[in-house]
Amino acid sequence: MSTEHFLEVQGLKKHFEAGRPALFSRDVQKVHAVDGVGFTLRRSEVIALVGESGCGKSTLALLLMGLEDPTAGTIKFEGQDITHLNDHERKDLRRKIQMVFQDPYESLNPTQTIEEIVTEPLVVHGFANVPDRRERVVKAMEDAGLKPAEVYMSRYPHELSGGQRQRVVIAAALVLEPEIILADEPVSMLDVSIRAEVINLLAELRITRQIAVIFITHDLGSVGFFADRVAVMYLGRIVEIGTMLEVLENPQHPYTKALISVIPVPNPRLRHERIILKGETPNPINVPSGCRFHPRCPVAIESCKASDPPMVTLSKTHQSACLLLVK
Amino acid sequence: MQTTLQNTSPNKTASQLFNFWESFKKSGTGVVGLYMIIVILILAIFAPLIAPYDESSTANVGISDIYQPPSAQHWFGTDDAGQDVFSNFVYGARVSLTVGFFAAFISLIIGGSFGLIAGFFGGRWETSLMRFTDIMLVIPDLPLTVVIVALTKPSLFNIILVIGLLGWTTTARVVRSQTLAVKSRKFILRARAIGASKPHIVINHILPLVMPILVVQGVLVISLAILNESTLSFIGLGDPSVLSWGQMLNYAFGRGALSSGAWWALLVPGLGIVWIVLGLTLLGQGLEQVLNPRTDTHHLMPSRLPLSKEALVKPLHQNTLFEVQNLSIHYVGEGKAPAHAVEDVSFTLKEGELMGLVGESGCGKTTLMLALLRLLPSAGQIVNGKVFFKGKDLTSLSEEELNEIRWRGISIVFQGAMNALNPVRTVGDQITEAVMKHEPKFPKENIPARVTQLLELVGITADQRDHFPHQYSGGMRQRAMIAMALACNPDVIIADEPTTALDVMIQAQILELLDNLRKKLGLAVIFVTHDLGIVAELCDKVLVMYGGVTAEYADVDTIYNNPKHPYTQELLKAFPDLTKPKKKLSSIPGYPPRLDALPAGCRFAPRCPAAFERCHTEQPALHSIGNNNHIASCHLVEASK
Ligand SMILES: Nc1ncnc2c1ncn2[C@@H]1O[C@H](COP(=O)(O)OP(=O)(O)OP(=O)(O)O)[C@@H](O)[C@H]1O
Ligand code: SF4
Ligand code: SF4
Ligand SMILES: [Mg+2]
Repeated sequence: MSTEHFLEVQGLKKHFEAGRPALFSRDVQKVHAVDGVGFTLRRSEVIALVGESGCGKSTLALLLMGLEDPTAGTIKFEGQDITHLNDHERKDLRRKIQMVFQDPYESLNPTQTIEEIVTEPLVVHGFANVPDRRERVVKAMEDAGLKPAEVYMSRYPHELSGGQRQRVVIAAALVLEPEIILADEPVSMLDVSIRAEVINLLAELRITRQIAVIFITHDLGSVGFFADRVAVMYLGRIVEIGTMLEVLENPQHPYTKALISVIPVPNPRLRHERIILKGETPNPINVPSGCRFHPRCPVAIESCKASDPPMVTLSKTHQSACLLLVK
Repeated sequence: MQTTLQNTSPNKTASQLFNFWESFKKSGTGVVGLYMIIVILILAIFAPLIAPYDESSTANVGISDIYQPPSAQHWFGTDDAGQDVFSNFVYGARVSLTVGFFAAFISLIIGGSFGLIAGFFGGRWETSLMRFTDIMLVIPDLPLTVVIVALTKPSLFNIILVIGLLGWTTTARVVRSQTLAVKSRKFILRARAIGASKPHIVINHILPLVMPILVVQGVLVISLAILNESTLSFIGLGDPSVLSWGQMLNYAFGRGALSSGAWWALLVPGLGIVWIVLGLTLLGQGLEQVLNPRTDTHHLMPSRLPLSKEALVKPLHQNTLFEVQNLSIHYVGEGKAPAHAVEDVSFTLKEGELMGLVGESGCGKTTLMLALLRLLPSAGQIVNGKVFFKGKDLTSLSEEELNEIRWRGISIVFQGAMNALNPVRTVGDQITEAVMKHEPKFPKENIPARVTQLLELVGITADQRDHFPHQYSGGMRQRAMIAMALACNPDVIIADEPTTALDVMIQAQILELLDNLRKKLGLAVIFVTHDLGIVAELCDKVLVMYGGVTAEYADVDTIYNNPKHPYTQELLKAFPDLTKPKKKLSSIPGYPPRLDALPAGCRFAPRCPAAFERCHTEQPALHSIGNNNHIASCHLVEASK
């Protein structure tokens, strides 16, 4: 199987209905949460999806997990179209794609012990009675850095620190030996001193277990050192995608440039001019005409209001959607 | 497919029960209720042993036995049929409990499953089930019960059935709302992502969290069922073949107990009903406290009397606006070791200066800030230290004097307050209220203009002023909070984690705002955060706290380019630096100390890569380094001097 086609997303859209603008109005308003997203993921690759809140990152994650049904577009996994599988057909797939959620304080059931939490995926997938069930659980926990596993097994979530809880979530994902981990803001709720431990863990797993990671975050700074590629999202679309170095050192889209400029640099001697955008991501009900970034774009030109910029290829790996790049 | 997790060991259940009992014991009324119910249970179970006479024994009863007053033979006298009231009372407990338990069982099964199904599946299920529930809820229970029982044969079985079938509505509603609440929690989404089936999710994730509510509800439903049965029997619709307490009342009432002055025949069954209903209600309350504890809110109560009245101590530094000297704060709780939340912290602040206060969650940042204005919750006590503001010691001012300084001299943007705006009032109204409350002398007619001006200062336009909080984004809500804090033109603003939950771009906007405000208004700002990057962008000086103590305190350049405390150094290494991408981050293993069980030596010793023997036994003092107000609490610093 070609490694290029491990996970392939094309023209993915999700429009939620948002009620009617007026009581008797005919047309239903739509939230364009995800509005034409495409990218591919290679085996054991780490891709960072970066964007502000409301840009559709979390909806995209739910679509990839099959927890929401897309309005349009396709998702292929290992060449097979998985866009509209039902729960039953998806079962085997669920084993291969696992998710890590933002809030480790909320994503664990407070009434279960750590052992029950990490064992649960095995039970769900019918491996409850395999002879090596306990070994699998221990291995997953130790791979997730909960060493020695015995110390943690009989504890409850509230007896662990934030970093340890996130490790439990990761262990519960690892126990099924997945091929992709989708991590939605996995460290933004954690203290800086333990953020690194979770990021380092994910970085290790891709090497030891060949797991590909989709890392969703609003903070480009937090994935700087371990993502291979970055996709920057704005209002439901990818506006720039490229390798980490291309995007960090040679950003082409005005939005990417602004995002990079506001990442805090931990050195007062390097204080620099920041491009602080005015306002916030507009409501995805009324997507602006033309380039959807034009109302906030500091370098917009007249034509930006009318024409939607196409994806411009800048190098084999680097693409961006801005009219200024169209030659 | 089997769905339960089988490794719920008996140990887990046993220890849960034990914990449950430990906390239940603390609720006095609950325990009283429990004992009251146990008494009735004993009566019911051992009725043949306890009752001196057989159930409804009419043997050897003559006309003279009717309505005998209490005596040694008949403790509670006799009734209209000459039977022993005490014996009938004891057997009556059986009837009441039977009706209560079985009717409640029916109600709970129906209400519980309706609530669960409606809450979990939503959609059409929910609409139809809840509409049905609503209809049942508006029909008054008791009259309907009366009608149905009157129309059917009044047997105990029918009574149980009717009470049970009509009494489930509140249970359905309570269970539904709890199910909805649990369903929206993240771990349910995680279970779905794992691939768990719906029955699995209901059994393993929803039920355990709905169960406590169901138990509490169950106790209340039992008492309601008992009460309903008594009412039915009292009005003559009971099962004539059994003698319940209601039945006893009915007979006594209908057969002249009142006119014969036989109060005992009424009082005993009446008290029995009151006793059991009261017992169940108390038990229900006790259970509710344990199973459904409301979270202890962070009450902003002024702390107790100032430590010392003598105003002998003077600020050490001249020309400072704000000076904190050796401040220590403990949280004390009954039967708990005091938590040393803040120990010996000092700093100064000049006009227009911006200080960053950095540290991990729980290191005492909020505690320190609340203590400056004596706004600690009642458990928090300033045990040592002084806080000077414009030369006055805030720790020794009276409450009224301090109120002059709160908001006008120093104001706080509380942590998380942007999520606590009143959802049903417009933001403009809430700011108006803040101005009126804290500046009562402000001319009324100028208030609207003032509110507009405040909002403008923080970048909110006049047309957004009458919007409700939910129409605001997180960033705008935080701006509104800052506007409120500016209401009385303070000299100092304390912003407790104002950017923590916000996106980087919005963070940058808020930082820019605070920076502009201090330039425009000459404000001094204390910026509390756990993010070292933000501090570097913005602040003049930095106080790094660890586990309640000052780790290091210096100007911003020194902190980042010449840090002396190992904690500061490690924290900087853990921070991703995009100027050096592809560098592996180092983390600090372990986690911060518990403040009620501190290590003997340096609080950072268990995690410190540079720790040596002395660190584990002796607390490092604060040492100053060089002569530009750089201090750090570390033995290494002392050694290198
Ligand atoms: N009312 C209270 N009673 C007892 N202990 C308390 C109380 N409030 C806070 N504490 C404890 O005091 C310590 C310091 O808490 P504080 O809220 O000041 O930390 P913080 O640095 O502001 O943390 P965060 O970054 O999470 O806001 C913590 O260990 C906390 O558990
Ligand atoms: S197309 Fe125009 S508005 Fe859009 S990003 Fe480029 S310059 Fe800005
Ligand atoms: S005193 Fe010792 S343990 Fe504490 S910070 Fe210094 S070297 Fe580390
Ligand atoms: Mg705090």
